[in-house]
Amino acid sequence: MPPLDDPSWEALMRAANRGDQRAYARLLGAVTPVVRGIVRARGGTLGPEACEDVVQEVLLTIHLKRQSWREDAPLRPWLYAVTRHKVVDAFRARGHRVEIPVEDVAEILPAPPGEDPFEARDMARVIGRLEPRAAEIVRAIGIDGESAAEAGARLGMSEGAVRVALHRAFKSLARLRERMIE
Amino acid sequence: MKTDALIAALAADTTPRVAPGARLARTLPVAFVVSVVLLLVFWHVRPDLAEVLTSAPVYKTLVPLALALAALWLARGMARPEARVGAEASVVGVMGLGMLGALAYGLATNSPAEIAELLDTRDFENCLISVPVLAALPLAGALWAMQAGAPRHPVLAGAVAGLLAGGIGAAVYSLHCPHDPLMYFLPAYGGAMLIVVALGAVIGGRVLRW
Repeated sequence: MPPLDDPSWEALMRAANRGDQRAYARLLGAVTPVVRGIVRARGGTLGPEACEDVVQEVLLTIHLKRQSWREDAPLRPWLYAVTRHKVVDAFRARGHRVEIPVEDVAEILPAPPGEDPFEARDMARVIGRLEPRAAEIVRAIGIDGESAAEAGARLGMSEGAVRVALHRAFKSLARLRERMIE
Repeated sequence: MKTDALIAALAADTTPRVAPGARLARTLPVAFVVSVVLLLVFWHVRPDLAEVLTSAPVYKTLVPLALALAALWLARGMARPEARVGAEASVVGVMGLGMLGALAYGLATNSPAEIAELLDTRDFENCLISVPVLAALPLAGALWAMQAGAPRHPVLAGAVAGLLAGGIGAAVYSLHCPHDPLMYFLPAYGGAMLIVVALGAVIGGRVLRW
């Protein structure tokens, strides 16, 4: 693993828990190659695109379960535990059995940086199943890079309402994915 | 959707989240108080309660409470996906073994006829129903709190939530129940708590998956 920079992942996550979006985006960006490395090491036979689907599923899970990390604990063991659980689950749902010994996870190298040429399809499909306004908010903020305030102004909603809708959308996404993939 | 786009969308969702431990700390006292109030209103406390609470039969309240506290400690650990919970699980295990030891002692020192007589009361079935009813709200609260966590084993985590709730339900019910012998307590309270554990496991297997 490359030497990890200042600020630590723990510091980024603590800042994220206090509402710091940039710290959170930075953390998720730093975590993604590691998750991708684990997913590809385990499910490389599925092909890069299906692997990226699983990577996105893990990221969504990290997001929805982040409050189960205790702020005084190191982040990596938590992250590996979440990733491992979700990767096993995701491959099982796709009919592939994978085993990931705990010790193993920590040793997997992250995927090379800057390599994300793949448009994962599952997430787009599941977003398409959301209620239209929720789907629009997710796309506006994710793909078009709008802020919650901008999306709100365009859709005639308050910024707070956009955030609530976004939060609900992610919870629904996790549920919908489970139903669609199994 | 590209992963970068997903990250941008996720990062915009900064809704504050409540940790499972904090949720347990918030919901359980409320659920406990409501259960006590339900007992006061619908079951009534035993008339000699003041006396009982300062004498040996108070064990019927203390043992379930101790089980509930141990289960609470274990549940907090299990809500974290990376946590090792060997110490917490051992405490619960030792308490369970203690109950089994007491049961063996009771079976050895009481004839089957004596035990049958102790249990030959409508209060026995009453206990098996009342404890789960009084445990329902604590169970709902515990499972809801665990949903904020990420337990690696949903069924086991549900069972532990069940023990936590069953312990509370049994402790509350003991304020009503007039039967104090060990060989009444173990089958009635033990059985009732096991029912709640089983309920917790079944529900947990469904609602604690992630």
